Amino acid sequence: MGIKGSLLFLLLTSLGLAWVRSDRVVPGEKHVVELSYWNGFTGPDGRTMLQMVRQFNRENPDVQITMQRIAWATYYNKLMVAGIGGRGPEIFVMPSAMLPQMYRAGFIDEITDVYGPGGALKAQFDPKLIKIVDVGTDHEELIGLPLDVHAQGMYCNGAMLKEAGFVNADGSPRPPKNREEFLAAASAMRKDTDGDGQPDLWGFGYGQWDRNFMSLVPQFGGRLLDEKGEPVLDDPGDVQALQFLADLYLKYHLAPPPEAGVAGWVGFRQQKVGMVFDGVYMLGDLKRLEGHPYIGAPMPQIGPYPGTLADSHILCVRKGLPPDQRAGAEKLIRFISDHSIIWAEAGQIPARKDVRETEAFKKMQVQYAFSQQLDYVMYPPRTPLFGELNAQIVLAVESAIRGRATPIDALRQANRDYKRYLDRDRADNLVSSEVK
Amino acid sequence: MTHRRSQNLVGYLFMLPYGAVFLTFIVLPFVVSLVLSFLEYDLTSRHPATFIGFRNFREALFEDRFFWKAVGATFQYVALMIPAQLVLAMLLALGMNAMTRGKQTVRALLFMPGLLSIAVTAILWQWFYNEEFGLFNHLLKLVHLPGVPWLSNLHVAMPSVVLMTLWWTVGGSAAVLLTGLQQIPAQITEAAALDGANGWRGFWMITLPMLKPVLLFMVVMNTIGGFQMFTQSLLLTTGGPEMATRGVVQLIYDTAFGDFRLGYGAAISWLLFIMIAGFSFLQFRIIRRFSE
Repeated sequence: MGIKGSLLFLLLTSLGLAWVRSDRVVPGEKHVVELSYWNGFTGPDGRTMLQMVRQFNRENPDVQITMQRIAWATYYNKLMVAGIGGRGPEIFVMPSAMLPQMYRAGFIDEITDVYGPGGALKAQFDPKLIKIVDVGTDHEELIGLPLDVHAQGMYCNGAMLKEAGFVNADGSPRPPKNREEFLAAASAMRKDTDGDGQPDLWGFGYGQWDRNFMSLVPQFGGRLLDEKGEPVLDDPGDVQALQFLADLYLKYHLAPPPEAGVAGWVGFRQQKVGMVFDGVYMLGDLKRLEGHPYIGAPMPQIGPYPGTLADSHILCVRKGLPPDQRAGAEKLIRFISDHSIIWAEAGQIPARKDVRETEAFKKMQVQYAFSQQLDYVMYPPRTPLFGELNAQIVLAVESAIRGRATPIDALRQANRDYKRYLDRDRADNLVSSEVK
Repeated sequence: MTHRRSQNLVGYLFMLPYGAVFLTFIVLPFVVSLVLSFLEYDLTSRHPATFIGFRNFREALFEDRFFWKAVGATFQYVALMIPAQLVLAMLLALGMNAMTRGKQTVRALLFMPGLLSIAVTAILWQWFYNEEFGLFNHLLKLVHLPGVPWLSNLHVAMPSVVLMTLWWTVGGSAAVLLTGLQQIPAQITEAAALDGANGWRGFWMITLPMLKPVLLFMVVMNTIGGFQMFTQSLLLTTGGPEMATRGVVQLIYDTAFGDFRLGYGAAISWLLFIMIAGFSFLQFRIIRRFSE
């Protein structure tokens, strides 16, 4: 084929493709609403979500959804830039911690209608969750529908627990429920199996330090921000929570050194660590392991109160959609919420009570065990600067666990740094940084 | 139209595509970032961008301890990387230059890591450095040495980042130096040898002075590259532990695209630009004086 022939071929191919792809509406042909749906579910949970979207597409030929998965690490900036530029997806998932920041950018619409006439669906959600998505001042204005509650809890190696003597009457492993039991179990699990003088089996391994810490904060009556949105990271409860976390390595020697690769989740997967605190969403990773004797349990009550951290994936809609797209988006959101028992399979706790009360959910050991904490979970504080707050917490926890700073000093420094960010943000915005 | 004019026109037409790209992607962002650095421009804010003079610069220099931490990490990287790369590349180049057989093969082998993208290299080295399954700790275990926390120890993490970067880049630097060595006229080295300047003396008195232009180029370019260290630490350590490996470029990325503070991110970019320009100027002056 000569140059002219090649050019002609290219031209015809391009025209053909453009014709096939174009959103033309042929008279008499049914109009199909095409929508884009973004989320950060790049792990095994992404396959489950894709399965739900495909089911929706099959059952709703008038609305066709294209799902885009983007790693959480870059998800927020891509969504932010696209959203502000008016090119964002019509539907997207936003973790509740990041919702205030994204809402302030001005591209998230309210979807109160999705909750049905009179907001009937609201009764199915924890009022704390509804408060997170409500941005109205004089009347309710809900900017999203919670899909799940991903609580932090405890994963245990059942075989190691049994060997440590933590067994129920029926012979099943018994996860520790309080501080004494937790320390006793962790101590019994720590072993030097090869006789080199160093333990190679550990009772506990640090997971994500910020989340480990925030899971313990409510147990000691601590909090991250006060009711005015001011940081109180040096609250006595926070300090006690961090002290306990640091002591697990520095004082009790129950966790491998923070440097060691055996630490945390990797060690738990390899059955070298008996217990870890992590999110229910990690279940997907464990399901891939053959023969791992894992079980899920609520966080042991280390402090005077029960408590843990939880976040929620919120389904949101972009502002300024034409009515047909808006209707299609709402349809998808209701569909996903109505079918959230499928989502639970991926390692999530459905946000809706009616779904959690199904027998199918109760049979999901880890998800059900983690869901037993929902009455007392702490959600991330509502601040448009959650990223900055979390970064300070990571640094404080890391330096305390390594013994480079005392918990109180590390948290005071974090408090000072976050306060500076907050003051600057308030000055720049000339109003309170609070969303509401 | 005269022949000369039409020739000029053709020349400009050839330059046009590159010129358009250069203006759009280099000059325009340069100007925009300068303007941004004087603005409070937060993507999440409902308020429009506002002019705040030098406040972003003041914040970075006098209030933000993370800026100085990032500057410290960047300087540590440059201080470890540049001398190590120069010395290693020089040794490899001298070795290859002395070889009578297999020179091309060795050069190709050394150059090969540089053909990998930095992302691939970082992922590969993440496995080398893995404390439990990694190649390095496995080798150490074979000789009954304790494993090294390559990426999670405060004092080891940056040298680990440097080591990976060396593996990735040293072949290219060695090839450049080898070319420089081959450009030295044989009669000069032979004359020097006749005068008794062999071995170390010959290297110090003849080879090194003759390589100065190449060395100057390498030092300046590598320093500029060193100050821009980003991908390797982002992928290997995400800037940890305790932000010990988070360089200034990663701070800019985190500020602009994580915290969405474009104005402040732009101001830090300009501070980095000033640092790089200052160092490059200093290096030029020092090495030129040394050359004279």
